[in-house]
Amino acid sequence: MLQQVISVAIFVIMFGVIISEKFERHLVSLAAGALMLIVVLGICMRSPSAIWDTLNLAEFVTPSFWYAKVESAGGSAGINWSTIVFILGMMIMVEGMGKAGFFRWLCLTMAKAVRYKAMPLFLTFMVTSFVLSMFIDSITVILFLAAVTVELAQLLGLSPVPMILAEIFCANLGGSATMCGDPPNIIIGTALGYSFADFLKNTGLIALLSLGFVILYFCLRFRKNLKNGQVDVAIAYPKPASAIQSKKAFGVSCVIFACAVVLLVTHAMTGLTVATIGTLVGALTLLASVRDAKTLLKKVDYKTLLFFVGLFVVVGGLEQTGVLSVIADFIHGICGSHSYVMIAVILWVSAIASAFVDNIPFAATMIPVIESLAATTGMDLSVLSWTLACGTDIGGSATPIGASANVVGVSIAAQNGHMIGWGRYCKTMLPVTIITMLISMLCIFVRYL
Amino acid sequence: MEGQVIIAIGREFGSGGHEIAELIATKLEIFLIDDKLLYDLSSEKKIPYEELKKYDERPKVPFLSRTVSGYTNAMEEHLAKMQFEYLRKMAEGGESFVIVGRCAEYVLKDFPCMTSAFISGNKETKCERVMKKYKLSADEAKKLMKKKDATRKAYHNYYCEGKWGDSRNYDLCINSSQIGVEGAADVILSFVERKQKK
Repeated sequence: MLQQVISVAIFVIMFGVIISEKFERHLVSLAAGALMLIVVLGICMRSPSAIWDTLNLAEFVTPSFWYAKVESAGGSAGINWSTIVFILGMMIMVEGMGKAGFFRWLCLTMAKAVRYKAMPLFLTFMVTSFVLSMFIDSITVILFLAAVTVELAQLLGLSPVPMILAEIFCANLGGSATMCGDPPNIIIGTALGYSFADFLKNTGLIALLSLGFVILYFCLRFRKNLKNGQVDVAIAYPKPASAIQSKKAFGVSCVIFACAVVLLVTHAMTGLTVATIGTLVGALTLLASVRDAKTLLKKVDYKTLLFFVGLFVVVGGLEQTGVLSVIADFIHGICGSHSYVMIAVILWVSAIASAFVDNIPFAATMIPVIESLAATTGMDLSVLSWTLACGTDIGGSATPIGASANVVGVSIAAQNGHMIGWGRYCKTMLPVTIITMLISMLCIFVRYL
Repeated sequence: MEGQVIIAIGREFGSGGHEIAELIATKLEIFLIDDKLLYDLSSEKKIPYEELKKYDERPKVPFLSRTVSGYTNAMEEHLAKMQFEYLRKMAEGGESFVIVGRCAEYVLKDFPCMTSAFISGNKETKCERVMKKYKLSADEAKKLMKKKDATRKAYHNYYCEGKWGDSRNYDLCINSSQIGVEGAADVILSFVERKQKK
């Protein structure tokens, strides 16, 4: 009992300090992780094996970590090294692509293709945001897309705010469609043994269906704003070619990105795990740009990776002490054997929580909970997994702090003189989040129950 | 006075800091940057003045804001950064001015022509001034003073290394209740004069 109380206290304090932003979040999660290992697992439980299981270092020498013909579940206990290695590799690849000018080139090419007309541009950028976020982290997608949006909106005499908001929503929605689109999905996929194709066939279809409604919503909501946009033929619009820093680096980054997409889509068939794919694309990027390798490595967001390490340890501690089973029993107690109620509770609680707190710790905490729920209620674990993924990925769009893409998009708009406070943001984004959550819930009810 | 003069005034609510700044600006015939800063930013960035006013000199709300890789959704922080940039540009452009609040004693600390002062006051005197200016009861005035000072302190301490009102961060700390608005302005002016002669 004592270890459960202490582990919950460590988790709650960690969450509070992260939200308060008094200290950097990776330092907080690492400190909380160290406390969990020393105080809870070491002193209270006196269990060196629990510490070893939580650190999960043996995973690296397990063949299934690198190659698994049938996708194997890494298990939810302890540090999920597959997630960390995959994200590290993708970060290196994305840095390489950004440096070569790929993202800016892509945005400008899309804009040129629709002849800089406001409504087609609006639609194209929404779809671009959705598709790119299926493979690349949404922060990078919004970073480049929002910057180009501001630039083009200024030339067209439009406010970039509607476009940026729509892009943010589509980035979060696109992220929910695949295993590598959003960190919660990578954690769910690697912990529970789902493949890229599994996500695509389940959350991917829900996201695609929702996209139609989302596009309709944003078009109706902002149709008046977009009508004002005038294409001035006298204006020199930025040329896509101007975005390319080096033709060689650009070509190489395109090839590596294409390889990453193919490897991810086919990884259930090839047997290459996401950890291997991450290592391959990261290594290829570094080999292809040996001169810039040091710069690329320096730009990797190590703080986020360290945050994940600390977080996994804390969640591992909660699992070892049995706290997460208690939460699962509590949810089971509320929902009974009513699968509809259980799906609705997991979906909406995940969405509401993700709208206010980081969805990564929430998803990491919930994985052992849904595993336990599936074991005790007999519900299909995959259905609970898709529900958790939809709730955490899409729910974050509701508020400006719900997801990283929201913060970055709002910040880029503000830096360019377009203030988007809570009121302005939620007025547009809350209704569309609720609509999308309802669509997701209906899809899950109809397809799986 | 010859050459560039920048006077940064920090103040407790109700201490008369703004009046002191106005008086100094009038006597030296230089700009007073207070609301002017918001009007200038409003026209430069094409943001409505009222929208900027909402976030002016306010700390970001911890549980309603988040920072990701150096990007933040806190509009208060964006406005503060715009204001700091504006102040630095003005100072670099050789302008003389008096600035009230906005962490100016910290933002402009690298400009030798900058003199900083913090204006405090006795609780009773400040309360009387607030009651008169805002037509409030004593209780309401005290509540408002407490709230405003807490906001200014949180705003200042978020962006600056030194603490709000700490004498080590200012060239002068003056209790306006002791010598009045005029007296405080004279003390600052004579300090600036001596500093220039040195």
